[in-house]
Amino acid sequence: MFVLFFSFASFAISQELTLNEILKNYYQAGNFDKLKEVNSIIMTGKIVQQDLMPVKIVRVRPDKYLMEFDVADLTAYQAYDGHTGWMTAPWTGNAAPQIMPAERMNDLKNRADMDGVLVNWKEKGHLLELIGRDSVNGIVVYKIKVTRKDGGIEYNFIDDNGFMLLKRVSYRMAAGKELLVENLYRDYRKVEGIPFAFTVETNNAGRVNEIQFESVELNKPVDLKIFVMPEKTR
Amino acid sequence: MGYPQEVLQWRGADRTGFYHESNLLKSWPEAGPLLLWEFDSLGNGYGSPVITNSTIYVNGEIDTISYLFALDRSGKFLWKAPIGKEWTLNYPGSRNTPTIVNDLIYVTTGLGTVACLEAKTGKKRWSVDMVTDFHAPLNRFGFSESLVVSGNNVFCSPGNADTNVVALDRFTGKIVWICKGLGQMTSYCSPVLIRLPEREILVTFSKSALLGIDTRDGKLLWSHKQDSEGDVHINTPLFENGFIYYITGDGNGSVKLKLSADGKEITEVWRNAACDNTMGCFIKLDDYIYTASYGRRYWYSEDANTGKITDSVKFDKGVTIYADGMLYCYNEKGQLGLFKPNGPQMEEVSSFKISRGTKAHYAHPVINQGILYVRHGRSLLAYDVKKK
Repeated sequence: MFVLFFSFASFAISQELTLNEILKNYYQAGNFDKLKEVNSIIMTGKIVQQDLMPVKIVRVRPDKYLMEFDVADLTAYQAYDGHTGWMTAPWTGNAAPQIMPAERMNDLKNRADMDGVLVNWKEKGHLLELIGRDSVNGIVVYKIKVTRKDGGIEYNFIDDNGFMLLKRVSYRMAAGKELLVENLYRDYRKVEGIPFAFTVETNNAGRVNEIQFESVELNKPVDLKIFVMPEKTR
Repeated sequence: MGYPQEVLQWRGADRTGFYHESNLLKSWPEAGPLLLWEFDSLGNGYGSPVITNSTIYVNGEIDTISYLFALDRSGKFLWKAPIGKEWTLNYPGSRNTPTIVNDLIYVTTGLGTVACLEAKTGKKRWSVDMVTDFHAPLNRFGFSESLVVSGNNVFCSPGNADTNVVALDRFTGKIVWICKGLGQMTSYCSPVLIRLPEREILVTFSKSALLGIDTRDGKLLWSHKQDSEGDVHINTPLFENGFIYYITGDGNGSVKLKLSADGKEITEVWRNAACDNTMGCFIKLDDYIYTASYGRRYWYSEDANTGKITDSVKFDKGVTIYADGMLYCYNEKGQLGLFKPNGPQMEEVSSFKISRGTKAHYAHPVINQGILYVRHGRSLLAYDVKKK
């Protein structure tokens, strides 16, 4: 009986956390004070779909992003240099760099935000709303709705115990249609005291893949030219 | 102790993945066996090397052209000879392993060139273009067959409805016979030959069936249908003691067929859809089959009498070859594992990561005269696996 009462009491207490309290715990768990001191992150690993192909993601503050990945053993890029987003899609038969379609540019800009939408959200112009409790693979989470400055809506699901991001639901436009994208974050490991999800599963409108990161490097020198759209294929 | 075998074709003498070697290491240091040399300018490709007592031959694509490379046994470049345009639409690079018969070498490109070159110089004797000469339809991943030779004939699979499998005079490239098969596209398979007292049978896959073709006249003797829409049946079948074994990751899974004594009929013995593999082939050793699962990314032991899986080892998925009592398992993460096959079980002994080379880890390793050859994209790596 005591156990039952304690459980209810505990639930009641944790349920009373406000959005700001949840975020405070989230910032602390993610060691965002330390992350602020990080200027560059290089994550390398494999994309597991039917094939197993290499992937490398490079971020440099404040807003530079490059993803180099292989599809069918052809190397492709998606990048944002702070002004221009670009991509290559060699599997189409055209390996030339091209400007990222406008409908996908916001997604690229958001990926360039090293801290994520929940950090400094007011300064970034986003709106946050605590929706309530939910569950991700049996783990109780807080569901936070984010209305981004660009008008996009996404939902972030924060573990109510460890306060790590476990899931993100967002929407992207493709060929005039809005598609749901679900990211699941697992296998958190600390690199220099900062936790990173070493496994990210993505369900992109029914197409599922998983990135298994093998290494995360912080503050390595990065040549900023890699983010700039080249004239020819690399 | 001698090394009687040269490696003159895909997966060794009988295309079984068995390399008849002895006195090899039974475990490796943590960093792997000693790397003797690396040749890192092969161009793109997934084919394996073939090896004579003096020369190593392997294909590679550079700037859309497929070349046959010749190296000496210390990895020194000797020459390279152009074959034709290579496939670059996806998985860019050469796909096949050369076949050597005496002083001639037979090669293909992903875009359908079949060529015969002189082994000494790389000079082209003849070539045919399966697309223009035999109206071969281009498939999804490029022509990937490692050619098989019997007597005066070399066989290729254009995969057209009227020119499904073709026998060419290996000295002239002239057509000997054409088999319509089932009129289906090719399915990337490197065939195997079954030699019976009455006849010789070429066994290969087309889009949705295993085919048995009499090599004398190109007559289709039998076929075995795949109960799926898949069209990728790459693995070379195996014939042993009256039975045909095959594994596909895009069809029936693993299958055992009984072949009649005259070679005219097949009867299905068992099949196991769970034990699948797309392009890493398999090893049959006594009563067990060892292969990697395409769907689950585990290596399996499978009972060859019943088709039942008897063991699974988590090691992603990839290629299996065998030498001197050990399985060599090369997975798509680039790990090369040494496994001991213990009947129904397999035990991991050592593994190391292939950290040199480029692109995907798909090429089948080769072992010859105590050296383990691993092709990883532009690099050919030679490891010393001899026991000291």
